[in-house]
Amino acid sequence: MMVGKEVDDANIRMPEDAYDTGKDTPTFNAYLTVVVRDSEGKVIKVHRQRSHSPTANFIGLFLPISYFSTNNVSFTITNVTGGTCTYKPGLGGSPQDIIYPNSNVNYNTYIVTIQVGSGQQSNPYTATALAAPIANGSGAGQLVYQPVTPPSSITINGNTAYFYITQTYNNISGGTITITEVGIITEIQTINYTNSAHTNCGNILLWYDVLSSPISIPNGGSVTIYYTFVVNP
Amino acid sequence: MVTPDLVSEEDIAKLIIPNDLPGEPTLKAYIEAKVYDREGHVIRYRRQPMRSPTQWLLALMAIPLIGTYSSSSSATASSFLINVFGFPSQLTVYPGYAANVTWNFSIQLGSGTQAFSPTLSSLAAPIANGSGAGQLSYGSVTATYSGTTIYTYVTVINYSSTTINVTEIGLVATIYLQFQNSSNNYQTNTYTYLLTYDTFSPAITLPPGAIATFKVAISFSG
Repeated sequence: MMVGKEVDDANIRMPEDAYDTGKDTPTFNAYLTVVVRDSEGKVIKVHRQRSHSPTANFIGLFLPISYFSTNNVSFTITNVTGGTCTYKPGLGGSPQDIIYPNSNVNYNTYIVTIQVGSGQQSNPYTATALAAPIANGSGAGQLVYQPVTPPSSITINGNTAYFYITQTYNNISGGTITITEVGIITEIQTINYTNSAHTNCGNILLWYDVLSSPISIPNGGSVTIYYTFVVNP
Repeated sequence: MVTPDLVSEEDIAKLIIPNDLPGEPTLKAYIEAKVYDREGHVIRYRRQPMRSPTQWLLALMAIPLIGTYSSSSSATASSFLINVFGFPSQLTVYPGYAANVTWNFSIQLGSGTQAFSPTLSSLAAPIANGSGAGQLSYGSVTATYSGTTIYTYVTVINYSSTTINVTEIGLVATIYLQFQNSSNNYQTNTYTYLLTYDTFSPAITLPPGAIATFKVAISFSG
């Protein structure tokens, strides 16, 4: 039996029982929480907002292999310096997939940082780098980045499940630092299992948000950022 | 805003999952089912919001977000992959070879119902692939995307002589770890996870000879 163009349009001869419930239900959310402390370690500000913004890089890396095989296409990943690599995962000896730790050859793929910045850009989906990254250091306009803490498990509470990624930054620059943008950056490397082809895609911006209001960190203070991903909150 | 200092994980949990923020959720998802009769006429159409992502959707998202390694210098897997998925800390490969990870999506239909839990791993009563009584013939699964929305489709045909009622649907991920094992043979370790679980009420009915397409759309708000 052929399913033709006409019947593929559900508006044609719509049966009586057809309906569209219309509204979608919020079942998945991402949140950005920013906690600022003064030089004595006392919390002086807590900023919370929804996070909305996977980048195109994330979508490309999240796609299933059937997208690539059925359509015979690849995805171009763009790193934070503007370099690109071709991503076309699959099964077998040829496709380069994300490398997995093994006993022979390792090109580490790992979360690098939650980067903070002092700029902003209007289209997070197409962002490949922060607009104005704040450098790691103790100089003017810089923050000392502590190591990022990735999740080690998923926490379940009733029907809610979540994990979070967090990182702390210290301001010993001598002045107040203001952050306006945040993004998750991960080093991505791909390889085929026969080890005949390997690609270092570099540091990839995967999630990006502009803060709904600027956050100022006083000299001597610190800021801790939590990215939370939750289902059924 | 000034708050008391944070003293425990419990305090942090209250902060990082706020329930008082306005605005749109990060992800919207829906399921669509179209049923055609033998002549190709649409006889049923259903579109409903997807309500029930499981922890496995979060877990799969974590692979590109946090990577596969525990750090920049360690040759071991991240503790998340070990603890959540049950993946090995390291794959032993034949000298000269490597290992990698990839995944695919499929749609599973079922004829049962069950209470939702974020740890669900399968449908209550999966409808098997075939042409026998109570079975549906599953076509190839296809996936596309547009912007921040990922669509997964499957077409099924009821070759059996009786009507089949579809009451549950799940988006399933199969994760593959590929490597050349220590015996110098190609090996794929497969792991299957239920990413979303939803029910149809009333059921989607497929009379004999009917063909149906099911679509699961996951849309990040971007």
